[in-house]
Amino acid sequence: MTVTCSEHPASLQGRPAMRRKVADAAALAAGYVALAMIAVPTIWVVAGVLQRAVPGWSWGVLTHTGAAGAGGLENEILGSLVLTAGTLVLAGGVGVLAGIYLAEYATGPAGAVLRGASEVLAGIPSIVLGYVGYLALVVALHWSFSLAAGLVTLAVMTVPYVMKSTEVALRQVPSAYREGAEALGFSPLQALRRISLRTALPGIVTGILVALAISVGETAPLLYTAGFTSANPSAALVHRPIAFLTYAIWTFYNQPSKSAVQLSFDAALILLVIVLLLIVVGRVIVSLSERHAETR
Amino acid sequence: MRRTALEPDPSDLATSRGHESSYPVLEASSLRLQFGSTTVLSDLTVAIPRGQITALIGPTGSGKSTLLRTLNRMNDRVKGFSHDGDVLLEGESIFGRNVNLMLLRRRIGMLFQRPNPFPMSIGDNVVAGVRAHRIAPRKQHRAIVEARLKEVGLWDSVSGRLADSPFRLSGGQQQLLCLARALAVGPDMLLLDEPTSSLDPGSVETVEALLRKLVPALTLVVVTHNLAQARRIAEQTMFLFGGRLVEFGPTAQLFESPNEPETMRYVTGRIG
Repeated sequence: MTVTCSEHPASLQGRPAMRRKVADAAALAAGYVALAMIAVPTIWVVAGVLQRAVPGWSWGVLTHTGAAGAGGLENEILGSLVLTAGTLVLAGGVGVLAGIYLAEYATGPAGAVLRGASEVLAGIPSIVLGYVGYLALVVALHWSFSLAAGLVTLAVMTVPYVMKSTEVALRQVPSAYREGAEALGFSPLQALRRISLRTALPGIVTGILVALAISVGETAPLLYTAGFTSANPSAALVHRPIAFLTYAIWTFYNQPSKSAVQLSFDAALILLVIVLLLIVVGRVIVSLSERHAETR
Repeated sequence: MRRTALEPDPSDLATSRGHESSYPVLEASSLRLQFGSTTVLSDLTVAIPRGQITALIGPTGSGKSTLLRTLNRMNDRVKGFSHDGDVLLEGESIFGRNVNLMLLRRRIGMLFQRPNPFPMSIGDNVVAGVRAHRIAPRKQHRAIVEARLKEVGLWDSVSGRLADSPFRLSGGQQQLLCLARALAVGPDMLLLDEPTSSLDPGSVETVEALLRKLVPALTLVVVTHNLAQARRIAEQTMFLFGGRLVEFGPTAQLFESPNEPETMRYVTGRIG
């Protein structure tokens, strides 16, 4: 078979075809639109919260407990922080270990089952998980509304994100690193700990951050499992309800008193700050761990 | 030189044999290597002489790298890989049931075609193996870093930036760093898989000169596609072709008056 090429023009002079110019402009425009679709709502939300929270802001909300739209938000803040820290330990631990298992050890059906299960889990609406948590933990196990019930529910919800990001990050570790470690006589565990996990850390941290951001901003499952209280969190894992910020946002906003609405916006502002801090901490960890990375 | 048995059992052949230079350090007997049902190399019986550089030459697909990677058992985890026959290190089988792979690889180090420093500081790279094998207390690491970097001639250019990323170094410097890292665990032997093929000519010269300095303290096995390199650095040359060992002998003889017609055709550039 003969292949014929169209002849190239004799001269280098000439304008790019109109079609290419249009396509170029369209792609650029689409990029800007996409950027705007991310940036505008973000700025809108932050500005809206600031605008409503700041004028009536009082530092007292940080140091006073309260309920039903009066007093402060100390109980909610501490409750959310405890829940977030607990998720970090529980979902972070389980998720990272499961991710390591999937990336390094799982071969055949076991891995496929775990992967499939986690995808299904990630797809279950959080309110359904909350209700299941309510039936299983609060009622069947007699934990009542409690820190443990809330934590376990949040952890179940967020483990898939941590697991997936850990697995993906570990799979992206260049095989040259592993081979180098192996050839140097590292044990498999040493290679994993000193080379693979270190290299994968940015990806793992990002996954944990997403999990934490979800858990700190989640309302539905906690309504079913954590309950609410005007008291600060205690050491009790079960039988004692625990407050959280999104409850305040959700409930106080619908109350008639002006102070309750103000508290609701204060809670939203504090939540934004917490999420922002999480992101900053994550960025710092990522950039520290990447200072010797190949792709920088 | 330090000798650590691969197995805890002291009654291995190595001790009764002694380590005089007349004995080969590594011997392969009736070795056959295959991936799945494809035989890569068969019926290989050869003794690698101690304290010399042995070059492994042969066209692509002749099994050079597979053989090299078998010698420190890097093929173990490769899917479908299997072997027959045996490889003895100082008379002791490297495939023995109780062989400690960590110890084997501490004694037989490896350098790869592309430099592969770890994503940690230059200094940490040098002592990565030292740490893994707990060879020296932490306070000696600094001295080890300096000694090894001096040994490979990198010290002057990196002494001021030991905490920096190794990926800012040139390719040649990265390879030297990897060599320093391999030397730091005190191997008896180094396997080098085309160690200079990704380097610029200047770095090639540096690395080759360095390799010459490592013998006779160490035994080196170098896979190379570069026949001129084999002639420059190797005392012994092994020619693999068509899945078998065609010829093994002193480099000069193999290149100038080979016994086998295939060797002649390969070294004169008519096959390959």
